Amino acid sequence: MRFLLPTFAALLAGGVSAASAQTTATRGPIPVTGNVPALCTAGTNTSGSGAFDVGILTDPTTGLLRNDLSAPPKVLAGAFCSAMSNITVSATPLLSQNNLNANGGFSRTVNFTATAAGWTTTPASFTTGAASNPGATQNRPTPFTGDITVSIGSFSTGGGNALRLVADPAYLGSVTVTLAVAS
Amino acid sequence: MRLRSFLLAAGLFLPAAAQAQSNSATSAFAVNASVPGACAVGAPALSAGRMVNFRGLNGTTVQIDQMVDPTTLSTNAASIEVRFDAVCTFPHRLKVETQNNGLWPTSERPGPAPEGFGNAVPYRADITWADRSLRLDADAGVRRIADSSVFVPGAGMGDILLRLEIDPGATNRRANAPLLAGVYGDTIRITLEPQQ
Repeated sequence: MRFLLPTFAALLAGGVSAASAQTTATRGPIPVTGNVPALCTAGTNTSGSGAFDVGILTDPTTGLLRNDLSAPPKVLAGAFCSAMSNITVSATPLLSQNNLNANGGFSRTVNFTATAAGWTTTPASFTTGAASNPGATQNRPTPFTGDITVSIGSFSTGGGNALRLVADPAYLGSVTVTLAVAS
Repeated sequence: MRLRSFLLAAGLFLPAAAQAQSNSATSAFAVNASVPGACAVGAPALSAGRMVNFRGLNGTTVQIDQMVDPTTLSTNAASIEVRFDAVCTFPHRLKVETQNNGLWPTSERPGPAPEGFGNAVPYRADITWADRSLRLDADAGVRRIADSSVFVPGAGMGDILLRLEIDPGATNRRANAPLLAGVYGDTIRITLEPQQ
């Protein structure tokens, strides 16, 4: 051990001496880049089940569509888009699932209007059975985070409100809300 | 140089992957409802132009204008058609029922009519509904409940047409027998009975 230690010390001293003999070198600048992608999330439904329960559609004394139909709205909490965005609502009408034939005087379809409010000044709205739905997509020019309230209303019988609805325990429809980065 | 290349590669690929997954987001909701089976009959209304010797409809009552021909003292002809807005959303039976089986005195149960006099008036009730027709002959032979019915195999909606017809001179005795004085009446019930 006594013979090895001086040898190691000499090598270390020699190394320091060699570095001091070179000129100073700089590497860089090294760019550091990042990227925030344009993202949207549709939030979380904070209003119970994921279904609008409209209940019984008809007035039992007439068989005609009730004029007081409603369903509690759904709230999508914490939705956000990190860039300019479009909100789009679409829907399919309530259709009798088991009664596929509606004879004269009867209908198996109930149309309604679905709206998505809170994201844009003008709520996006979609009416099933309508020839066109120009208000179904609305644009927000700035990034935003907030709640979206989704509602349904303005029910009407497909083919006209003078028609009766066929009996069926299962009338089903749907509402879809889409948040998308605007290109 | 190796480090820089790595950073550039991350800048190119990470955002691309994120955009493919999250530049749009969708929430979907079901909409549920139901329509229970039901049969309903609305309030009566007169069919225009189908009334002879009746005063019209007062609530749910139709009243004969001149029940007796003043020259024969027997029954005057009379007819009327009444419609009921109705619906039945499943197979059902249409039933028509008469309380008295004819027009009988309403004040009290009379005893036997004197010989040669009538004390009841027969009539016919014809009903049309959902491509079916039904006749009830209230013949006034015996004062009793009488009914008639027809099965309708599917749903039906629209008007139930009820036509009441009294023939001239019709009584529960011989034709053209004079009628005992009094107020005559009957009650008709129309029922849509679900048949599951």
